Amino acid sequence: MEAKNPARGVPRYWSPYIAGFAIGITLLLTYYVMGHGLGASGAYTQLSARMLQAEAPRHAAKNVYLKNYLQLGSLFHSWMIIEMFGVLLGGFLGALTARRFHFEIERGPKIGEVDRLLFALGGGISVGFGSRLAQGCTSGQALSGGAVLAVGSWLFTLAFFLGGYMFAWLVRREWQ
Amino acid sequence: MNGPLVPNEILTPEIGLVFALVAGLLFGFFLERAGFGSARKLTAMFYFRDFALLRVMFTAVVVGAVGLLLLGAVGQIDLSMLAIPGTYLWPQAVGGLLIGLGFVMGGY
Repeated sequence: MEAKNPARGVPRYWSPYIAGFAIGITLLLTYYVMGHGLGASGAYTQLSARMLQAEAPRHAAKNVYLKNYLQLGSLFHSWMIIEMFGVLLGGFLGALTARRFHFEIERGPKIGEVDRLLFALGGGISVGFGSRLAQGCTSGQALSGGAVLAVGSWLFTLAFFLGGYMFAWLVRREWQ
Repeated sequence: MNGPLVPNEILTPEIGLVFALVAGLLFGFFLERAGFGSARKLTAMFYFRDFALLRVMFTAVVVGAVGLLLLGAVGQIDLSMLAIPGTYLWPQAVGGLLIGLGFVMGGY
């Protein structure tokens, strides 16, 4: 496995409490300015609605669920899309300035790259479907909904950890 | 200035879109600094190896919740105007389970 050990002198991650505080302040600022929290999965729904519209416009217009996502003029009028663009850029700048930026398929020593990527695809499908069922992912529900003490968001958070610990044993070969 | 600023029309929705980039930049940068860029670190808590990201997440939730409470108490934000995720018990429970499964499988 290449690049397992970071080069000498690479800064460590921040203390979890300092990083958590910084994310909490970002969330607070977002609520203060926008009246809603941070999200992630909604951007993917917005993108898939646009892709369906480009490929099959009449079908997309009839879809009750995706219709709401298509009411904005352009993709760049979507708050979530711009925010996610910022997240990508912020993460990239973070990795770059911490001298951590490199290409790697992160995996445990017992699994090949192809299998790891297939698991990632399966995981992505599960996260994608789950986030539409729950109307949000770990950002929109657990983080943002958690901070405004939404009952359903706390149930979501509980179910998320339950799911993670229940299924972790099955895919342990991927990471250990 | 009384929050939330955009719903109260103190700031325009266009400025809200510019703010989206700022909020995203900060969110992404801090997530990376916390270690969310690493799939192995993200999944480590599910193998009882590294609980750092659990601490990050709950610290953020507590800071956000207490901050909103304080801003509301001093009248700087109208809490009744905030978008609160609705309560749909079964979808949120099943969705949470599926995201938990996908999270350990995919490393996100």
